[in-house]
Amino acid sequence: MNWFYSTIQAVLNGLLTGALYGLIAMGMALIFGVMRIVNFAHGAFLMLGMYATYVLFQTTGINPYYSFPLAGAVLFVIGYATYMGLLRPIRGQVDFMVILLTMGLSLIITDGVQLIFGADYHQISIPLLSKNIRLGSQISINAPWLVSFVIAAVLAAVLYFVVTHTMFGRAARAIAQNRYAAPLMGINVNQVQAVSFGIGSAAAGMAGALLLPVFYLFPDVGNQFKLKSFVMVVLGGMGSIQGAAIAGLVLGVVESLTSLYWGNEWALAVDFVIFILVLSLKPSGIFGSQRA
Amino acid sequence: MKRWYFILMGVFFLLALLVPLVVQSDYTLQILFRVFLFAALGLAWNLVGGYTGQLSLGHAAYFGVGAYSLALFSKAGVSPWVSVLLGIALAVISAAVIGSVSFRLRGPYFALCTIAFAEVLRLTAKNLPNLTGGDVGVQVPLLFPQSTTKAFYISGVLLTVIVLALTAWIEHSRFGYYLLAIREDEDAALAVGVNTARCKLWILLISAALTAIAGALYASLFLFIVPDQVLAMEISTEIAIVAMLGGAGTLIGPLVGSITLETASEIFKTFFKEANLLIYGVLIVVVVLFLPEGIVGTIANKLRVFKTAPIAPFATPEPPDPKEEARRAVISE
Amino acid sequence: MSLLETKSVSKRFGGLKAISDVSFTVRPGEMCFIVGPNGAGKTTLFNLITGVFHPDSGSIHFEGRPITNLSPDRAAKLGIGRTFQIVKPLRNLTVLENVMLGAFLRTSSPAKAEQEAIKVLKFLQMEKVLHLPARGMGLPMLKRLEIARALATKPKLVLLDEVVAGLPTSEAIQLALLLKRLPEWGISAIGGIEHVMQVVMRVADRVMVLDHGTVIAEGLPQEVVHLPVVIEAYLGSKYKEIVQ
Repeated sequence: MNWFYSTIQAVLNGLLTGALYGLIAMGMALIFGVMRIVNFAHGAFLMLGMYATYVLFQTTGINPYYSFPLAGAVLFVIGYATYMGLLRPIRGQVDFMVILLTMGLSLIITDGVQLIFGADYHQISIPLLSKNIRLGSQISINAPWLVSFVIAAVLAAVLYFVVTHTMFGRAARAIAQNRYAAPLMGINVNQVQAVSFGIGSAAAGMAGALLLPVFYLFPDVGNQFKLKSFVMVVLGGMGSIQGAAIAGLVLGVVESLTSLYWGNEWALAVDFVIFILVLSLKPSGIFGSQRA
Repeated sequence: MKRWYFILMGVFFLLALLVPLVVQSDYTLQILFRVFLFAALGLAWNLVGGYTGQLSLGHAAYFGVGAYSLALFSKAGVSPWVSVLLGIALAVISAAVIGSVSFRLRGPYFALCTIAFAEVLRLTAKNLPNLTGGDVGVQVPLLFPQSTTKAFYISGVLLTVIVLALTAWIEHSRFGYYLLAIREDEDAALAVGVNTARCKLWILLISAALTAIAGALYASLFLFIVPDQVLAMEISTEIAIVAMLGGAGTLIGPLVGSITLETASEIFKTFFKEANLLIYGVLIVVVVLFLPEGIVGTIANKLRVFKTAPIAPFATPEPPDPKEEARRAVISE
Repeated sequence: MSLLETKSVSKRFGGLKAISDVSFTVRPGEMCFIVGPNGAGKTTLFNLITGVFHPDSGSIHFEGRPITNLSPDRAAKLGIGRTFQIVKPLRNLTVLENVMLGAFLRTSSPAKAEQEAIKVLKFLQMEKVLHLPARGMGLPMLKRLEIARALATKPKLVLLDEVVAGLPTSEAIQLALLLKRLPEWGISAIGGIEHVMQVVMRVADRVMVLDHGTVIAEGLPQEVVHLPVVIEAYLGSKYKEIVQ
C-alpha cells in the first residue's frame, strides 16, 4: 500500500507548493487581464523579492514569514515604475514588442543581480525548517510549507477581495473588459494599469520571500516560475484571477505526481505539454469566458 | 529589385567570400562564421516573423532538430550530409505540427506556444540521455574534413546568400504579397481569397528547413552539442533580435542586424566581460523603445529609398476597433 | 436563375438572435440594397454570406451551388467580393499594392496584377494616389480603396457594407453613381446601408429592410421607404402615426 501513501503525500505537497504557484500566477493574471501584457520579467521580480528578503534576513535576522510584506512593497514600486517608464510608452505596439521589452528587462535585472551578489547559490536556515507535522504514520507536512500555504492563501483571498469589492478592482475589471470604454467612465486608465502592474509584481515579490526558506537562491531562480506562470495563466483562463489560483494548485499537484512517478526532470516538460494541450483544445482555459 | 542594389549585394558577398584569403586567424573566422550564420537564421526567421507577422520565439526548435539530427543519425551510421537532409525533413515535420497548433492563436499566445514547443523539445532532449546523450551531450561529425573553419565560414556565407535570394524572390511574387497581407490584416486577406492558413504553414516550413541547415552547420563546427546550447530559448531570442534590430520585414535587415549584434557582442565581451548579458538586455530595451523598425527600417523610412510604403510593421498599429476587440478571442474564427 | 439565394437563414450569438429566418434572392445584374437601422443585422448577414460566420440554420446558395459553410477565401474564389464596414486597408502597403492583392486572385503574375489594379483604380478615379501608402489616407479614399480591392478580384457579386457611411453627401453621391455602373462590368451588388437614403434612391433596383434581424419589408425603393412599418423601425411608432 506504499504507493497509496506516497501518492497522498505527493498530492499534499503539490497543494502546498501549488498555493505559492497560484500566488505568482495570480499576479501575472492580473497584469495580463487588465493590460494584456505578458510580463517576461515576472520571474525576475520574484527573484528580486527573494534577494531583498535574503539581505534583510542576513542583516537583521527577521524571519521571511514576517518580512514578506516588505518584499511586496518594494516590488510594487518597481512594478509601478516599470509600467510607467517602460511599458506605457510602447502601449500602442504589437504584443511581441512588449514581450521583447520585458525579456530585455529580465536580462538586465538578472545579470545586474549576478554582478552584485555573484552567481553562487544561497540558502537560509530558520528553526521552523526542521519541524514536521505528522498526519498518521505515513504522511507528514513540512512546517514552512504549511506556513507559506496559509500566507499565500490569505494573500490570494485579499487580492481576490481587492479585485471584486473595491473601486480600484472595479476599475481594473472595467479596463480588462473594454479598454476603450473605460476612460469614458471616468477611469484614469494609466493610473489603474500602473497600480495593477505594481500589485501583480508585488505578488511575485512576496512569493519570492515565502520561497526563500525552502528554496535555493540564485540569480536565475525566477526563470522556472515565470515559465510556469504562463502555463497557469493559460490553464486558468485569460486574465482570470480565480482561474490562476486554481491552476496553481492543479499544477502543483500535477508536478508533484509527475516527480513521484516519472522523476523530477519531467515536471517542467509536463507543464508545457499541458500548456500546449490547453491552447489546442480549450484556449479559453478552465474559467475562460470566451468561446473555446 | 533595383540594379544598383543588386550590384552592391553582389560585391559585398564576393568580398565576403574572399575574406579567408586575408584572415588566417581561426578565432576571427569563427566569429565571422557566427555573423553569417545568424544572418541566415535571422533571414529565415524574417520570412515568418517580418513578412508574415507571425512572431515566433521558438525557432530554436528547428535549429536544435537540425543539430541533433546530424549528430544522432550519424551516430547510427548514416552519412553526415544525408543526416542533414533528414534533419531538414524532421524540422519540416516539426514545423507542420507546431504551426498547425500555434497559428490558430492570436497575439501573445502564439509566441508563448512556440516557446512551449521548443522547451518541450529541449527538456525531452535533456531527459532521454540514452537517446540524445542528455546533458552530457553528443558528438557531431565534421561536415567539412578539410580546412575546417574556413569551410564553415564559406558555407555560412553561401547559406546567407541562398536565404537572401529566396527572400528577394518571394518578396516579388504573389506569395510574398499574400504574406504581407496576412501580416497587415488577415481578415482582409481572406476576403480577397488568400488561404491564410496554408500560406502561414508553407512559409513556416520553408523557414524551419533553412533554420535546420544552420543548426547542423553550427553543431558540426563545435563538434559537440548539449540541449541547453542548441535548443535554448536564448537561441530563439537571439534570432528574433537579430531580425528586429536590423529591421523585420526588410530584405537586408537581418544581415545588418547580425553584423551589428555580433560586433557589439564581441565588444561587450571584451570590455564588460561579466556584464555582457546586462548590456545585451539594455540593447533589447533600447531597440524596442527607440528603434522598433530596426536599423534598416528606420533608415528606409527616413530616406524613402524604396518605392514601397514605409516599412514599419511593428511601430504603431492603428487603434483597434472596439467592436473588433470585443469579438477577438484567444483564437481566430 | 438567381445569383445569390438565402433561405431561412438564422444566426444567434449567445443570447442575441442577430439574424432570424431571413430569405432573399439577388438576380444577376441587380443592385440590391439591404437597409436597416443600426444593429439590424446587415453586417452579420454579409458575414454569413461571405463565410466569416456560418448560419445556425438555413442555407445559402450562390449560382445554384450551396455555400452555407464555406470559408471566406473560398467564397472570394467563387466570385463573392466584399468591403468591410470598418475599412481594412493594408496600411504598410501602397494603394496600388493594396489593390494588386485583390487582382492576384485571378493571376499569379505581379505585372498583370499591377495592370489590372491600375484599371480598377482608374475606374474609381484614384490615379493620383497610386503610390501613396495606405496609412494616413482620408476616409473617402480608404472607402474607395476597399471597393477597388474587392473589384480587382473580378467578383460576380460584391457586398458593399456601409460603403458611403461617414462620407460627405456630395462624395457619397459621386461614389454611388460610379457604383451604379457596376452592372456594365458584369458585377451585381448588394449594398448595406443605414441611412444615406439619397444613395439608395438613386442606385437601388430593389430594397430589403431589416430590423432586429428580420425582414420587415421588400420592394422598390420608392415604395418601401414610405411604408409605416419601415418608418416605425427607424424613427419609432410616434412618427408612424404622423405619416398616416
